Amino acid sequence: MTLLVFIASLLGAMAIGVPVAFALVFCGVILMWFMGMYNSQIIAQNMIIGADTFTLLAIPFFVLAGELMNAGGLSKRIIQFAIACVGHIRGGLGIVAIMAAIIMASISGSAAADTAALAAILIPMMAKAGYNVPRSAGLIASGGIIAPVIPPSMAFIVFGVAANVSITQLFMAGIVPGILMGLSLIAAWLIVVRKDNVQPLPKAPARERLAATGRAAWALGMPVIILGGIKAGIMTPTEAAVVAAAYALFVGVVIYRELKITDLPHVVLQAAKTTSVIMFLVCAALVSAWLITAANIPNEIVGYIEPLIDRPVLLMFVIMLLVLLVGTALDLTPTILILTPVLMPIIKQAGIDPIYFGVMFIMNCCIGLITPPVGVVLNVVSGVGRVPLGKVVTGILPFLLAQVAVLMLLVLFPDIVIVPARWLH
Amino acid sequence: EFTERTIRVSNGINADHPVGNGIEAMQKCLDDKSGGKLKLSTFWGGALGGDLQATQALRSGVQEAVVTSSSPLVGIEPALGVFDLPFLFSNSEEAYKVLDGKFGDMIDEKLAAVGLINLAYWENGFRNLSNSVRPVNKWEDLEGMKVRVMQNNVFLDTFQNLGANATPMAFGEVFSALETKTIDAQENPYVTIDTSKFFEVQKYVTQTNHAYTPFLFLFSKAIFDTYSPEEQAALKDCAVVGRDVERQVIGDLNQKSLEKIKEAGLEVNVLSPEEQARIREKSMVVYDKHKAEIGPDVVEGIMAELAEIRK
Amino acid sequence: MQKAVDLFYRFLELLMILLLSGMSIMVFGNVILRYAFNSGLTVSDELSRYFFVWLTFIGAVVGFRDYAHMGVETVVVRFGRNGRLICMALSNILIIACSGIFFWGTWKQLPINTSMSAPVTGLSMGWVYGIGLFTGGGCVIIALERLLRVLTGRITEEEIGAFAGEHTSLEHLAERG
Ligand code: NA
Ligand code: NA
Repeated sequence: MTLLVFIASLLGAMAIGVPVAFALVFCGVILMWFMGMYNSQIIAQNMIIGADTFTLLAIPFFVLAGELMNAGGLSKRIIQFAIACVGHIRGGLGIVAIMAAIIMASISGSAAADTAALAAILIPMMAKAGYNVPRSAGLIASGGIIAPVIPPSMAFIVFGVAANVSITQLFMAGIVPGILMGLSLIAAWLIVVRKDNVQPLPKAPARERLAATGRAAWALGMPVIILGGIKAGIMTPTEAAVVAAAYALFVGVVIYRELKITDLPHVVLQAAKTTSVIMFLVCAALVSAWLITAANIPNEIVGYIEPLIDRPVLLMFVIMLLVLLVGTALDLTPTILILTPVLMPIIKQAGIDPIYFGVMFIMNCCIGLITPPVGVVLNVVSGVGRVPLGKVVTGILPFLLAQVAVLMLLVLFPDIVIVPARWLH
Repeated sequence: EFTERTIRVSNGINADHPVGNGIEAMQKCLDDKSGGKLKLSTFWGGALGGDLQATQALRSGVQEAVVTSSSPLVGIEPALGVFDLPFLFSNSEEAYKVLDGKFGDMIDEKLAAVGLINLAYWENGFRNLSNSVRPVNKWEDLEGMKVRVMQNNVFLDTFQNLGANATPMAFGEVFSALETKTIDAQENPYVTIDTSKFFEVQKYVTQTNHAYTPFLFLFSKAIFDTYSPEEQAALKDCAVVGRDVERQVIGDLNQKSLEKIKEAGLEVNVLSPEEQARIREKSMVVYDKHKAEIGPDVVEGIMAELAEIRK
Repeated sequence: MQKAVDLFYRFLELLMILLLSGMSIMVFGNVILRYAFNSGLTVSDELSRYFFVWLTFIGAVVGFRDYAHMGVETVVVRFGRNGRLICMALSNILIIACSGIFFWGTWKQLPINTSMSAPVTGLSMGWVYGIGLFTGGGCVIIALERLLRVLTGRITEEEIGAFAGEHTSLEHLAERG
C-alpha cells in the first residue's frame, strides 16, 4: 500500500508538469502524511545534508572538465584523430564515430555533451559522403550514450553515493561493458551500411596521420591521467575530476589556444548551472529515499517478488525490463535516484554483486536516453544534426537492438562484467 | 502504562556487529517489560543517513534513536571530545567504571541539555594501529608514517604530535588507499581491522589502545519526554541489559579478530608498559591544547576520577 | 523593478562562478599539496563542501527561474493551451507547498544547526544549512509570481512553451544526461 502511495504521488505530480526534484519532495511529504509522521524538518534536513558530501564534488569537476574539453577544442582533435586512423575504410565514418565516442567517453561523463560534439562534426561529413542521414544520426546518438558507462561518469557517482558502493570499483567495472557497447554498434553498423552507396574518405598519407595523432596527443593524455590516477590509487575520483578539469583548462588555453581566459566565466557558470540542477535533484531524491527506507518499502517489494529472490538471473532480467520501461519516459539521473533506494536492498538480499548490478543498471538507464518518447540524446542529435526527431528514431532502431542485446548477454553471463572488474581493481 | 510503539534505531555499522546482539537482548528485555508493545526497528549500515545526521534528527524529534560513536558529535556537545583524548583509559574496566559512574552521568546531563537522552554507554572498543612499514615499539617509530585518521581535530593532533603524517580520509576509501600505499597505516578496533579486511593489506599491528571511544545509545529527548514513566524506565533498564551483552560479545570478538589477524601472518606486538608510559607522557600536550574547547572541568573531572580508580 | 531583479540574478550568477572556482582551487590546491609536499589543508576539504552546498541551493533558484529543472513533459505536451495553463497553475501550487515546507523545516531546524559547529573551521552550521531559507523562500516567490500571472492571464506564450518543455536549449539538455 505504501508502495502505491509512493508511485501514485510521484507520477501524479510529474504528469502535471512538476519538475522531478519538486515531485520527489512532494511524494516525500505525502509519504510522511500517510505514515502519520509529518514533520517539515525531515524535508529540510535530508535535503541539505545531501549536498554536504565530499564524494559528490566529483560531479561539478567532471562537468567542468567536459565543458572545458568542448570549449578548448579537445573533442575536435579527438574526432580528427579518429578520422585519420579509420576514416578511409569502408563504412569508416561510422567506425570513426564510435572510436571517437569511446575516447571521449573516457574523458567526459555526459552523454548529451559528447553526442552534441560528435553530431556537430560528423553528421555533415557523413551526409556529404553519402551515408543515410537518419541512420548516421542514430549511430551517433547510440555512441554518445557510452559516455556514462565508461569512466568518468556522473551516473556512477550518483549511483555510488545513493547505493553506498565504491565509485572507484564502479568506474573500473564500467570499462569492458562500455567497450562492448561500442563493438556491438560497429557490428550493427557494418551490417546495415552494406547497402549504402558511399564514398570512403581518401586514405590520409602516413605523415598526415602522424600529425593528427600528434595534435590529439594532449587530449588523449586525459583518459590516461583520469583512469591511471584512479587505478594506481594516486587519486580519489573527486581528486581525479579536479585534476582533469585543470588539465583540460591547461590544454585548451596554453596548448590548443582555443579557449580564451575571458571565456572562462561563461564556461564555469555553465558548469555551475548544470551541477546545481543535478545536485538539487540528488538532494530531493534523498528526501524520498529516507522515507522509502523508513517506510520499509523495499521489504514490501521483496514480499511481492519472493519467488525470484533465489533466481538471480531471472530477477536481473525482470529488473532490467522494468528499468527499460521506466527509461522510456524518465531521464538518466532521476531514474537512478528514484530506483536505487528501492532496488538496492532487493539486490543485496538476492546476493547479486552490487558493482555488477550498478554497471548493468547504468547501462540500461543510458539506453533510456535513446528510447522515445523521452530521450534526451535523441533530442540533442536531432537539434544539432538538424534531423527530424521521427527520422532519428527510425534510424536508431538497429543500434538500439544491438545495445539491448549486449545488455541481455550480460544478464546471462555476469562474469563478462565481474571478472574484468576484479582484474582491473 | 505501555503504548504500542515502533522505535527506529539507526546505525552506521552492519547487522553482524555485536551491537546487533545487544539490540536483540534489549528487545527481549523490552518484550518482557512491555508485553511486546515497544518494538525496536533497526536500520543498519547508515540506511537512514550518517550518525551525525541521525543525531540531528533525534534533536529535532524526527527520529527516535541512534547508536553512534561519540567522536562525530563533538560539534554538538564539545565535552564528548574528552573520549577522543589519547591514552585516556588503560583498560576496559577503567572505562566501564568511569562511563557507568558519576562522570558518565555528568556527560548525560550535558547531552540532555542539547536534546539527547543517553540510555547507556555501549562499546566500540579500544583502537589499535596497523601499518605496512615497520613494527611500532615506541612512539618514535611513527615518524613520517602516513596514518589515516577520522576527520577529528584531537585524532589529527595526536598523530601529528607523535611525528606521523595524519591524513583524514573517508572510511570507504581506506582499504584501497592502504592497498595502493597511498597511506601506510590506519587505526581502528581489532573487530574493524578484521571485518573491513584491512589486515589483508597490512603487515604490522600494534596494540596501542590509544583511544577508547564509546558507543552512545541516544534517544530523542523530544520524543522521550512524551513517553510514560514506565516506558522511559523500561528503555533505560533494557539499554543496560543490551549494553552488558554487547560489551561481552565485542570483547570475545576482539579476541577472535586478533587471532585471525595473527593467523593471517601479521606481526602483532603490544606496547611495553614503559613505552606506554612514555607515549602517554608525550601526548599530554594534546590534552593541554584541547582542554579549553572540551571544557576544563570535564577534563579535570575525568582525570580526578581516573586517579581515584587507579589508587 | 525588472531591472533590479535581473541585476539580482546577475549577482547570483557571479556568486555561483565564484563558488565553483573557489571549490576547484581549494580541492586542486590540496591535491598539489598532498602529492608534492606531503601535506594538506583540512580546512579546504571542509570549506569546499560548504561552497558546494551554497552553489547547489543558490543554483537551484536560478535554475527554477530559467525552467531548467528536469521534468517529464510527456503528458503536458499533449494538452492544448488551456490544459497547459491548468497544469501550470496546479504545478505551481504544488511547488509553493513543497518549497514552503522546505523553508519552514529549515527555519525550525535552525537553532539545532546553529548550535553545532563544523569540526575543522568551527563555523556555525546554521550558516551552511540555513541556505534552505533562501532556496525555499526564493522558489515560493517565483512560483507565486508565476501562479498570479497564470491566473490573471499575463503569462507569456514563451513561458507556457518552456513549461511544456518545448524550447529546451542544448545547454539545458546537457544536464539531463
Ligand atoms: Na565517461
Ligand atoms: Na527514453
